[in-house]
Amino acid sequence: MSGYLAYIAKRLAQFVLVVFIGINLAYVITHATPIDPVEQSISAVTSFGNTSPEAIAQMRISLRELYGLEGSALHQYLVFWKRILRADFGPSLSAFPTPVSTLIARALPWTTGLLVVSTIVAWVLGNWLGGLAGYYRKSRGLKLLGVIAMGLHPMPYYILALLLLIVFGFLWPVLPIGGGSAMNLPQAWTWAFAASVLQHAVLPALSLILIGVGSWFLGMRSLVSNVVTEDYVIYAELAGVDSRRVLTSYVMRNALIPQVTGLAMSLGGIFNGAVITEKVFGYPGVGSLLVDAVYAGDYGLVLGVTTISILGVSIGVLAIDLLYPLLDPRVKVS
Amino acid sequence: MSVDPAMAADTGEPGSLGPILSVRSLQAHFRTTHFGINRFVRAVDGVSFDVKRGEIYGLAGESSSGKTTLVKTIAGAIKPPLEVVGGTIEFAFLPGYGGLHRTPPAMVAQIRWRHLSYIMQGSMSLLNPVRRLRQSFIDFARPHLAGTGKEFETAVIGHLARVKLDASVLEAYPHELSGGMRQRAIIALATICRPDFIIADEPTTALDVVVQKDVLGMIRGIQREIGSSVLFVTHDMGVHAHLTDRLGIMYAGHLVEEATTPEIFHNALHPYTKHLISSLPRIGDDVQRKGLEGAPPNLADPPPGCRFHPRCPQAMEVCSRRVPEMVETASAHRVACFAVNGGAEP
Amino acid sequence: MLAILRDLLRYNVEFRFGIVLVGFVFVLSLLSFVSPYPPQDLYVVPPDAPPSLTYWLGTTSRGQDVFWQLTFAIRNTLLFGCTVALISRVLALVIGLLSGYKGGWIDRVLMSVNDTFIVIPLLPILVLFYFVMRDSMSWLMLALIMACLGWAYDARLIRSVAISLKTREFTQSSVFSGMSTREILMQEHLPYVMPIVFSTTMNNMIWSIGLEVTLAVLGFTDINTPTIGGMIYWANQHTAMVAGIWWWIAFPTIAVIMTFIGLFLLAVSMNEYIDPRSRLGRMGRVTS
Repeated sequence: MSGYLAYIAKRLAQFVLVVFIGINLAYVITHATPIDPVEQSISAVTSFGNTSPEAIAQMRISLRELYGLEGSALHQYLVFWKRILRADFGPSLSAFPTPVSTLIARALPWTTGLLVVSTIVAWVLGNWLGGLAGYYRKSRGLKLLGVIAMGLHPMPYYILALLLLIVFGFLWPVLPIGGGSAMNLPQAWTWAFAASVLQHAVLPALSLILIGVGSWFLGMRSLVSNVVTEDYVIYAELAGVDSRRVLTSYVMRNALIPQVTGLAMSLGGIFNGAVITEKVFGYPGVGSLLVDAVYAGDYGLVLGVTTISILGVSIGVLAIDLLYPLLDPRVKVS
Repeated sequence: MSVDPAMAADTGEPGSLGPILSVRSLQAHFRTTHFGINRFVRAVDGVSFDVKRGEIYGLAGESSSGKTTLVKTIAGAIKPPLEVVGGTIEFAFLPGYGGLHRTPPAMVAQIRWRHLSYIMQGSMSLLNPVRRLRQSFIDFARPHLAGTGKEFETAVIGHLARVKLDASVLEAYPHELSGGMRQRAIIALATICRPDFIIADEPTTALDVVVQKDVLGMIRGIQREIGSSVLFVTHDMGVHAHLTDRLGIMYAGHLVEEATTPEIFHNALHPYTKHLISSLPRIGDDVQRKGLEGAPPNLADPPPGCRFHPRCPQAMEVCSRRVPEMVETASAHRVACFAVNGGAEP
Repeated sequence: MLAILRDLLRYNVEFRFGIVLVGFVFVLSLLSFVSPYPPQDLYVVPPDAPPSLTYWLGTTSRGQDVFWQLTFAIRNTLLFGCTVALISRVLALVIGLLSGYKGGWIDRVLMSVNDTFIVIPLLPILVLFYFVMRDSMSWLMLALIMACLGWAYDARLIRSVAISLKTREFTQSSVFSGMSTREILMQEHLPYVMPIVFSTTMNNMIWSIGLEVTLAVLGFTDINTPTIGGMIYWANQHTAMVAGIWWWIAFPTIAVIMTFIGLFLLAVSMNEYIDPRSRLGRMGRVTS
């Protein structure tokens, strides 16, 4: 039991380290560059029309204070961390005076839902098919799937999203290609709303899932073809254990272990894919929020979304890490 | 053809009915095709022998002698690049097929573990690392033993006691057991269905000497109790002396000598066997050991005639031209050597 | 080395495909040096012309020939990928070899930092970079930044090779003969690690080019230097899809897909060639 506790402690420490380094990285980028975010925001905001010089001066002062750019470097650092810990990112410039945290809180469920569902579906489906392909090497259907996977895996998220958009938006418009739900539906817990949400989620989710399945398929197929050469698999087959049982309990079960680690490592990349996919389909998640914030020069929102992304992905990784010993009993020993 | 239940191994007299295993002229090759280059490794090249009921038959020889390939073929563990090129393998409980590789899978599934079990080489990794031991027993043995789950559990615990393992090991994962415990668990696993024939390939090589003695004793104890026949493979002549009834010596894919174990040790005839025996240390003996010149041949391109002749101190001219046949010299003592049997031209 | 390539070419279907695709893309990029139009110039040909014999892949709404623009785009994109891959190889090698060989607390610290960079989602970080640097972010700057962020995954791979090399005999003898750590790493271990470095280079290129395309499409890079992502960005700015100017988007897309699949196939076939276990599995399979 103590082995398990030590493992949890190590994982938690790593989690804290990741979040700490990540947020510090965000701090360094924003504060240590010669470019002044205040000037950036001002130029972005004033580029759309005429603003009087007094208004600009006023804006400069308020923005400097808002962005915590007053005072010595150490003071700024402390202020920065104090605000982060209180989840106070200030008001959003593009949606003034709505606080950034409100905007993020509104967008977060969309992204979380999309990400969690797509990732799980892609991982389970990809690993299952890949496992079959690695075990039943002669099957033509599985070999064909392998070729398809080879085409899907290296595809950039943007290109696939674009292709789906073209196919289902222009050529065969059966699915909605914009937004998270129908525009005129109230956002309440009704069946109509849920159905609309699902309908709008199909294309973005499909985009993420297809690439994911391609990647997990190839990885699992290669892992399985190595695992079947392991002594314990050969021994079980030699002993006449039913081949379906060998496939699930001996082969897949062991091959899944590195795939769980792989999942934790690829969460960052999957998140990146979700950001661009959201933008393509106008899905109201934090990805769209981030991109629009950059266009609008909304410094607080950009910083806020970045911080939350780092935190969110780290939590996801931590969750997977904590579940890992359930799959691999050997981890308690080291 | 169905498996005859009357062929169970509990006969009493070893050899009272026919042999439990009969191998004739078995040839098994490895065929490798790598970037256009074909290569045949003649790992087992014309081996014939019998294993009697209730006996422990040992197979000795250095590495790359082909003994592991031989037993793998007998056990039906034949996957590319390994191929059976000729010969037959007849088990008394599965007559008429010529080998497990020619038997329909449904029949094979019936045979495996119930009549034929196999302790593979490399015992450290034979068990599924992510499942508890109990699961391995259920996977391997449960389909062959009648009775309820509870009865099965009791039988397993009772059987584990025979190898001096506590019932608590069933809850353990393989990595939580010591090497000796794992090995004993494997032996229990391989014998719980009371098979007629057990193949053991280097089951004690990775263990330290003390544990090894224990485990060997257990193997013999169980074997006597169940009455199974055992085909025991190891390069360790000391183990053979300790355990086996009869001994077959393999060199470079051929069986070169076969006799009862005492006969081999006291009256070895083949030059290679003589060398193997003489290389064993004896207490009080202070003669310096002389190694054999040369190295085991490349089985993809073996020397013509007798494969041992390049290293043989008694090599004659005929040895490089013809392959010597196994000839029965004294009672139940076979040797394949021109120097022993005479190399007269036919 | 040449013999390996020849063998791969003859017997490995994936390698053949990969070489064809990557070769094609590479030749296209070389053509940029003979382009009749300088890449940054606008309105040098009639805009919005569909593919024809004069303008092979059509022209853009900005009055550029799609084909010649594409050659520059591919050249810059490939150059970008190579730059990132090169710099991050060096980083990955140094950190991976040092960490694997030294072990102890150096290993633990380096790997903790390493895992941090694997976990942190890089797109928001890059977006943040763009936000604060805007127009002063040249593609060289971006390449540098990405190289400094993208060594983590491969460093781990190299580290595991280093760990297995550490326990080998020749390492012990090198230590006993008084070689310094740097000498051991560079002279003894490096040759063993090179095969992994080659195959990870392909993957790294796919990763970096993919990220660059993503950023460019959003307009978050130096959009005046033509890259594949940049072309798509401008196409979107001019609503090419809706206006029916499909060739402006289609051909860069096809080019990038070809590049990625080609690189991926090369990586896969080299990996399979290197891995001894898969070699064993290939034996016994009868090739006609």
